[in-house]
Amino acid sequence: MRVVVADDVMLTRQGIVRLLRDAGFDVVAEAEDAEGLLRHVRLARPDAAVVDIRMPPTHTDEGLVAAQTIRTEHPAVGVLVLSQYVEPSYAMRLIQEHPERVGYLLKERVFDVAILVDALRRIAEGETVIDPTIVSRLVGRRRRDDTLADLTEREREVLGLVAEGLSNKAIAGRLFITERTVEAHVKQIFLKLQLNTNPDSHRRVLAVLAYLRAGA
Amino acid sequence: MARVPLRPANLAWLAAGSVVLAYGLGALAVARGPGELTTYAGRSDLAAALAVVAGLALVAAGLVMSFARPAGRIGDLALLAGVVWFAPFWAGWQGGPPLVLSLGTLAAGFVFPLLLQLVLAYPTGRLRSVGVRALVVAVYVEACLSALGRALFRDPFFDPNCWDNCTDNVFLVRSLPRVARGIQDVDLWFTAAAAGALAAVCVWRIATASGPARRTLSPVLAGGIALAAATIAHSVALERTPLEDPSDAPFLSIFAVGCAAVMVIALGLPWALLRARVQRRSVARIAAELGETPPPGLLESALAGAIGDAELRIAYWLPASRRYVDARGRLLEEPVAAAGRAVTALVRDGRRVALVTHTAAVTDLEREIGAAVRLALENERLQAQVLAQLHDLRQSRMRIVETGDAERRRLERDLHDGAQQSLLALSYDLRLARTGAEAEGDAETVALLTEATDDAQAALGELRELAHGIHPAILTEAGLAPALATLADAAPLAVDIGETAAERYSAPVETAAYLVVAEAIDDAARRGASYAVVGAPVDREFLVVEVEDDGSERTSTMIHLADRVGAIGGRLEIEPTTLRAEIPCA
Repeated sequence: MRVVVADDVMLTRQGIVRLLRDAGFDVVAEAEDAEGLLRHVRLARPDAAVVDIRMPPTHTDEGLVAAQTIRTEHPAVGVLVLSQYVEPSYAMRLIQEHPERVGYLLKERVFDVAILVDALRRIAEGETVIDPTIVSRLVGRRRRDDTLADLTEREREVLGLVAEGLSNKAIAGRLFITERTVEAHVKQIFLKLQLNTNPDSHRRVLAVLAYLRAGA
Repeated sequence: MARVPLRPANLAWLAAGSVVLAYGLGALAVARGPGELTTYAGRSDLAAALAVVAGLALVAAGLVMSFARPAGRIGDLALLAGVVWFAPFWAGWQGGPPLVLSLGTLAAGFVFPLLLQLVLAYPTGRLRSVGVRALVVAVYVEACLSALGRALFRDPFFDPNCWDNCTDNVFLVRSLPRVARGIQDVDLWFTAAAAGALAAVCVWRIATASGPARRTLSPVLAGGIALAAATIAHSVALERTPLEDPSDAPFLSIFAVGCAAVMVIALGLPWALLRARVQRRSVARIAAELGETPPPGLLESALAGAIGDAELRIAYWLPASRRYVDARGRLLEEPVAAAGRAVTALVRDGRRVALVTHTAAVTDLEREIGAAVRLALENERLQAQVLAQLHDLRQSRMRIVETGDAERRRLERDLHDGAQQSLLALSYDLRLARTGAEAEGDAETVALLTEATDDAQAALGELRELAHGIHPAILTEAGLAPALATLADAAPLAVDIGETAAERYSAPVETAAYLVVAEAIDDAARRGASYAVVGAPVDREFLVVEVEDDGSERTSTMIHLADRVGAIGGRLEIEPTTLRAEIPCA
């Protein structure tokens, strides 16, 4: 799998590159700002890009903007955004337009090679990756009228994994149940929460995140 | 009005006035008697009345002006013009003393130059522009040359167009009728041209004067235009009918218009004085009308109203901070006099109180402002000083808040760029080490390094939360609404974010609004609330932030928050379970 890595801090960038190479990835280019990243993506046509959200010149959301540009201009290239912020808004902004082949992971996970490799693999397969910290914060959000209380323990578990962007197959693998069972759970969850989105589409991640965030 | 003290100089003027009155009445007697056929006043009752009133009005105006302003030359000039005005009366004295007739004939030639100078030198007595000065000098030179030529070479006896004095010229050296005729013609047309120039200058002055100055100048300048018109008409009439006949209707009308013009000029001269007097009284009355505690700026508008100059501005001097401010304490540039404007320094007990910028038509504002107004000015200056200090204080508070915010933002960035990167590097090294230990099968080290890695992860998580607590980056990058949503995600109680302004505001406004909500939620949690409702709608020029909860009654004074909101000009309303901040955002 061919990957481009963009991070303005050299140590971090080199660390990521080495981890990816050790894990058998082909790192085709490195960039230290959004402009360089977009150039490399255009020229090298990688399978995925690993992008730090904070890059020059303003060190705010350049990485996020670049990720959205890549998704629009090169739909075949997946993007994994590494972020310092537990900000559902950023994650939702990322999957708003192009809900597949993108991921939003907290930066501190980047050197956990299993997570990094898993995320890139899922992105390459067309899935969405949302950091579990963000999902657990949203699921654990205090609510006056707790609609999640209507869900069973298992359904809540499935809901969280859906929000993390896992496919039914991946959820089945994770929970050691059949894919049919997962489908049934998802259908039941969407029914209980009155979500109108097609439970099989890539849009379901955004729908679940928005639901978890709305109201109190 | 101040009583005019009877100084010797004034007595002299009174005496002069009496003499001139006798001289004028004498002239009238001549016209109604021996000059019955050779003067306008003799031929027509209307002309007699107009001529005498005009002449005496000039004399009276001259005397009044001389009393009011001993230094002003306008009074002397008007008096002289009034005296010379009666010269044609004496020239028409049939059978009178030859010297009187000869002098009267010559002096009559100076009526127009004197009136021209009078109009152009008004109101200061000085001729300011070079062009106008040249015009006046040229008119006098021409009048002198013409008078000299006629005195030496014109024998009235041989002048076919002679009508008033046809008998005597005691200065005659040699009778040269053609030369005399030529001099008369040149004089006629030169005077007409000078009258045209006079009219033009008057029109230009009226057109370019500012409001109050125009009101002061208009009567005299209008008289000047009428005088110029009459003079030109007189020249034209003489060209058509070389023999001047006072009973002829066109000549009589022209004479009447000339008299009326002189009357307007004579009445206009004291007009400026009168206006100044009225102004002085209304300026003096201001203090009484203002009351005890006038709102800032009222004195300025009252003074502007009193002297009829809407553009009048008062700049108060603050000696401690060495600057000028307006009545509301706002900083002003040091006033400088522009075209048509004057700057007067007002002083009280030897100290500068204020600089007033006003129309140049008011020449001594300093004198017109009495003790009461001076006291009011001093009061307003003190008020302005307090307001300026208050303004400084507000600015300083704002700066402190902004500096603090900037510092927090910097700290947040530094944590990401510094400590976080170091921890990431550490965590990377730990993982490498663990991989190495795993390869060597050192289970104890692996366990140790796994624990260390977990600690590093936990530290990274805590660092992230710490940075967010110092300053939420999303507030700066995405605005209030997303930042409040994140606040609600992590809150220890249910937070319902209602209507929230989606627009972006200045950093101090957004930060203050965010802090109000954050503090209110923390406070609600402390008071055992199960939920809080947050709304942050925009109400015209205010961003209104309201947080209501179901906790027990508030005990905290929220003083830091009130300070924080107050620092940017906002207001915090604290109720038992509701917190409401109005933050100006316009």
